[in-house]
Amino acid sequence: MFPLNLQTAFIVEEVSKIIKESVEAAIGGNAYQHSRVNQWSTSVVEQCLSQLSKLGKPFKYIVTCIIMQKNGAGLQTASTCFWDNSTDGSCAVRWENKSMYCIVSVFGLAI
Amino acid sequence: MEEYNSGDEVIFNSDEANTIVKECIEGVIGGTDYDQSKVNQWTANIVEHSLTHLVKQGRPFKYIVNCAIMQKTGAGLHTANSCYWDTATDGSCTVRWENRTMYCVVSVFAVAVAL
Repeated sequence: MFPLNLQTAFIVEEVSKIIKESVEAAIGGNAYQHSRVNQWSTSVVEQCLSQLSKLGKPFKYIVTCIIMQKNGAGLQTASTCFWDNSTDGSCAVRWENKSMYCIVSVFGLAI
Repeated sequence: MEEYNSGDEVIFNSDEANTIVKECIEGVIGGTDYDQSKVNQWTANIVEHSLTHLVKQGRPFKYIVNCAIMQKTGAGLHTANSCYWDTATDGSCTVRWENRTMYCVVSVFAVAVAL
């Protein structure tokens, strides 16, 4: 089903770009540090959220961020949603560097 | 079209959701050890069962259920979330569970539907 109005639709490419920029700005070029990871994940979600709300679209947003140290452990995540398929959407971005993984998901629910 | 319980209970009840999620986790992975070949179907089962029970409550909410399972090897894991919504009616609840070989973190987000 095509969105009738691009200004009120959840556009995955746009959101994906916002997420990538927020992650790069918050942790790009850093190595995993236990003492700082708390403020990094907070900073990633807050940056994403403030850029998303600046889009001015009629959506409620949920942003989640997982940062994991690279040490060989297995990590599996799944999510499922009960919403309106024609108006709501989600976007997940996986980012990594030499010492850590960062997974950010954004869910947008139309008002 | 399903009838929602209108008038009462339009606020997300996080304690009830907590109980529902704990039971779902126990039901799927309680008593098992981390198994790479099964973890995929475990996360899928946990989110599906949790969602089904939440929807059965018949409340006027949209739901998002997220589950992460991590093997215990000493790695650091940090999760954060931030929400832009109506704080009077919407809510979330996060359940952390662990056993000898793995951690499981499940988050439920509920967003009120305008009727």
